[in-house]
Amino acid sequence: MEAVENRPLFIPVILGTTRQGRMSAHAAALILRELGKRSGLETELIDIAQLPLPTNDAGEAIKDAGFSEKMERADALVVVSPEYNHGCPGLLKHVLDSCLKEYVHKAVGIAAVSSGPFGGVRVIQNLIPVMRELGLVTIFWDVNFSSVQKVFSADGALLDESFVRRIDKFLKELIWMARTLRLGREHVPLD
Amino acid sequence: MAETSTKMICPRCGTEMNHHSDKVLYAVESADVPEADPALGGVIEEFHACPKCGASSSRHG
Repeated sequence: MEAVENRPLFIPVILGTTRQGRMSAHAAALILRELGKRSGLETELIDIAQLPLPTNDAGEAIKDAGFSEKMERADALVVVSPEYNHGCPGLLKHVLDSCLKEYVHKAVGIAAVSSGPFGGVRVIQNLIPVMRELGLVTIFWDVNFSSVQKVFSADGALLDESFVRRIDKFLKELIWMARTLRLGREHVPLD
Repeated sequence: MAETSTKMICPRCGTEMNHHSDKVLYAVESADVPEADPALGGVIEEFHACPKCGASSSRHG
């Protein structure tokens, strides 16, 4: 099982909105920064606004080779999603639906962003069954960016340092799950 | 329908892969219908991972 530990974990951060002026970009950048401080893993930002996915079809029929390759390489995902009308952005769902085998038995953590006081709890509840059906394994830590306009300045500076501690707990759980699931995927047979 | 018993070989590095998950797919092309498992009502997709390079792959079971 040496190879399991020799390869660094790859944990990309998916920025799940294309809206202009999105505050979720600041949240994603902060999580990316915190991930980047850790040894033994690699990360990168995947901005769904940059993915060339058509909207005249759906599902695996519109799979983008670059996104698919990153999902296959990933051991875990961080999905940063705002809450729009109690749900996730439609284009985030469109992107997630474009893969399947790439996700199976991999960990996912959700960071929700909201301008209101509830921190995107409803979008998290909305996304959990979607993640499950995609074969992803949700962790039981979330990051809730409540009243996000008070968490970041307009140019993205962090105004509330307590989020560093919250993200640390979230990432510890995600990394543990990523390592454990990698071991299972690669070494524990179904039968 | 009998499960596929042959080991899948990693398309990237040639190592024998680990079969770690199955999923029943209901929305299948008409060409897949003969492969549908009558008890489960759909086509079984097997998911495999490579212990050497981490690649993932899948196939109909």
